[in-house]
Amino acid sequence: MLKATIDAEIFRESIDAIAALVTECRLHTAEDQIRTRSVDTANVAMVSLELQSTAFNSFSATVGELGLDIAKLKNIIGMMGKGDALTLTLLDEERKLELSFGGYRYSISLLDVNTIRKDPNPPGIDLPGKAVVPGDALNNAIKAAAVISDKIALGIDPDAMTFYMEAEGDTDHIKLALGEDELVALNPVQARSLFSIDYLKDMGRVMARADEVEVYLGIDHPVRFVFDIADGNGRVEYLLAPRIEAD
Amino acid sequence: MQFLEFARVCEHLEGIPGRLDMIEQAAAVLPRLDDEELPIFVRFIMGRVFPDWSTKKLGVGPNLLYDAVAYVVGTKRETVREAINTTGDVGLAVEGLLAKKEQTSFFIQELGLLDVYREFERMAAAEGQRSQREKLRVAQGLFGNARPLEGRYLARLMLEELRIGMGEGNIRDAVAKAFEVDVRLVEHAHQAMNDLGEVALLARRDPGALSRVTIEPFRPVKMMLAQAGTIAAQVEDHGEVAVEYKYDGSRFQFHKVGGVCRIYSRKLEDVTASLPDIARLLLEATDRDVILDGEAVAVRDGKPMPFQYVIRRFRRKHEIDSMMEKIELVPRVFDILYLDGETLMDRPLAERRKALDTVLRAHVAPQFLATDAAAAEAIYAEALDLGHEGVMVKVPGSPYTPGVRGRLWVKVKPGVETLDLVVVGAEWGEGRRAGTFGSFLLAVQDQGRLLTVGKVATGITDEVLAELYALFKDKVIARSGKEVTLEPEVVFEVGYSEIQTSPNYGSGYALRFPRFVRVREDKSVDEAETLEALVERYGRQKNGQGSL
Repeated sequence: MLKATIDAEIFRESIDAIAALVTECRLHTAEDQIRTRSVDTANVAMVSLELQSTAFNSFSATVGELGLDIAKLKNIIGMMGKGDALTLTLLDEERKLELSFGGYRYSISLLDVNTIRKDPNPPGIDLPGKAVVPGDALNNAIKAAAVISDKIALGIDPDAMTFYMEAEGDTDHIKLALGEDELVALNPVQARSLFSIDYLKDMGRVMARADEVEVYLGIDHPVRFVFDIADGNGRVEYLLAPRIEAD
Repeated sequence: MQFLEFARVCEHLEGIPGRLDMIEQAAAVLPRLDDEELPIFVRFIMGRVFPDWSTKKLGVGPNLLYDAVAYVVGTKRETVREAINTTGDVGLAVEGLLAKKEQTSFFIQELGLLDVYREFERMAAAEGQRSQREKLRVAQGLFGNARPLEGRYLARLMLEELRIGMGEGNIRDAVAKAFEVDVRLVEHAHQAMNDLGEVALLARRDPGALSRVTIEPFRPVKMMLAQAGTIAAQVEDHGEVAVEYKYDGSRFQFHKVGGVCRIYSRKLEDVTASLPDIARLLLEATDRDVILDGEAVAVRDGKPMPFQYVIRRFRRKHEIDSMMEKIELVPRVFDILYLDGETLMDRPLAERRKALDTVLRAHVAPQFLATDAAAAEAIYAEALDLGHEGVMVKVPGSPYTPGVRGRLWVKVKPGVETLDLVVVGAEWGEGRRAGTFGSFLLAVQDQGRLLTVGKVATGITDEVLAELYALFKDKVIARSGKEVTLEPEVVFEVGYSEIQTSPNYGSGYALRFPRFVRVREDKSVDEAETLEALVERYGRQKNGQGSL
């Protein structure tokens, strides 16, 4: 069972966070929250999202699992106006989700959850380096790197006390180092890993809206981004596998 | 069976030069497969995903495949295309890219043979606006979990071109050997079922049933084919012959049960929607349940129109009504394979013909029986006067053998001899032909391999040249100087004056004065001329026999 009303903007933010990686997902409902964890088709990136009941204007749900067509939801969200209140109602018998907002009443078919990949287990990895970065700074650096390369190195230099992003093009080079003044916090442990910009671009657009993004890093290890949504009533986590350059 | 094991089998077979050894090795694998895997393995090993009678299509083009690989490897489509250009082979390129991919992943799921098949079914089922995205997603998932060697054969399978030399004949022999059944029974069942996968399963479970397999409505069988020949030889060999006009139309197979009918093209595609007039005429002409073999002919003022008018209609998916007014198509039915639950394929042609005359009230193509060459020649002359291509000279006692190009049916037509050849490459043109392909490299097939037999550059008008460029420009898989290698998907009908031996081409033969006649859009690559048939033509011409 699910019947909840939420600010359209918060819902848009949540769906965008998932849509950066997947086109469909399994959404778990519980008495006090909704959550999802998905991996992209190539098993390279994971997203997990939690939205507490406090993020909603009203929330009433029982434990359940819905198959969401994220691509379709994104199209519907495009119709919503700022400030609209969106009511989500699960029509159990029809296996449909009704979205009503601003006079519209959409009823969309849910996907059979068995056709959607199971929630991936998060890999047990230790990422000792940590920087807390403003979301828009992170996104701007990714966009700048994308101009010259298809990969970007993220790292922490404990000597210089900086978190840095570096990209190497055929002829060009770009580096952005953020020191203590620009960072919210830094755990200065030596770290550097290389990532595909294609993945980061989509994540960056979502993270740009966050005041602070926690970035966890290691050496040739995945990166983990963690940030709040819905005024702290929700949390998104991205995990991205590194690129390892051949010697 | 894990897909990796399948890939290893393919790699092993690919390295075997001899046909017998290859059959032996393939036969050794078949008994190890379970009932669900066996039919899939048999189709996959021939580079096919679905049964031949099925109208299901994977629908994966080269670009979709490149995008999926690029996504998984962490690179761009162009890089994938370049890798393919360098190696000249999609499979090897993908294998190489996966082997040195920089992008790591969190885990991989072991791919089973059945998993891969199910994913292919998802691709085939994807329809509508979002189908390409869905197919791309499935392809990414497959390549994301594939080891390099698996990637080699996944890529080739997706393009339905395995290139390991395992053709129908070899796998048929392997099935017979693996389950110790008579190869003729396997062949018979294959002709009726039109899916070697299911035949293999039957050969294992109930070999006795192989001889009882019958043709079924809405499961098209391959069409019986004819060799080029002469009236004199056919009369001399068989005494009485049945002579029919050879129509310059397009072959079809008509299936009807009750008021429901489907029409299949020569490639066994469902073309019912494109040919409502043929469907209506034949539905009106019989009350019985039938499978008929015939030719769709374009007619204007009672005179036959050339082939190109017919094929335009077969290809038509939209605005069929307006097209129908311009081109009137009529059926010319010359054979019946099935009548009210009974297979007629094994009956002699004379008997089938009698049945046809009684069940079909109209549209039966005329047939003339002749016992001497002069009478048959007279019909041939009449056929040409009427504007037909020539005549078919058939043995009245012959059974209907799907997919077989035997001597029981012989086609006789004047002028240039033609061959249907696979286009495997092209060369950029010069002068007036700059910016398009000026000549095309042709090949015959031999046990799943394509062997070159020459180039054709003449007989192509500027208009056709532009059409050909549009047809081929996205099929380029490798470039080297002025030459390009093309995905082997298109069949040309090519005229020639003589076949000569030649060290310059892979087949060992070359064509003298090759001349482009037309694109055989109704023919797939596996229907192209075989090396065996080419050698036979060469032999006949040397002995001074035939009309060559």
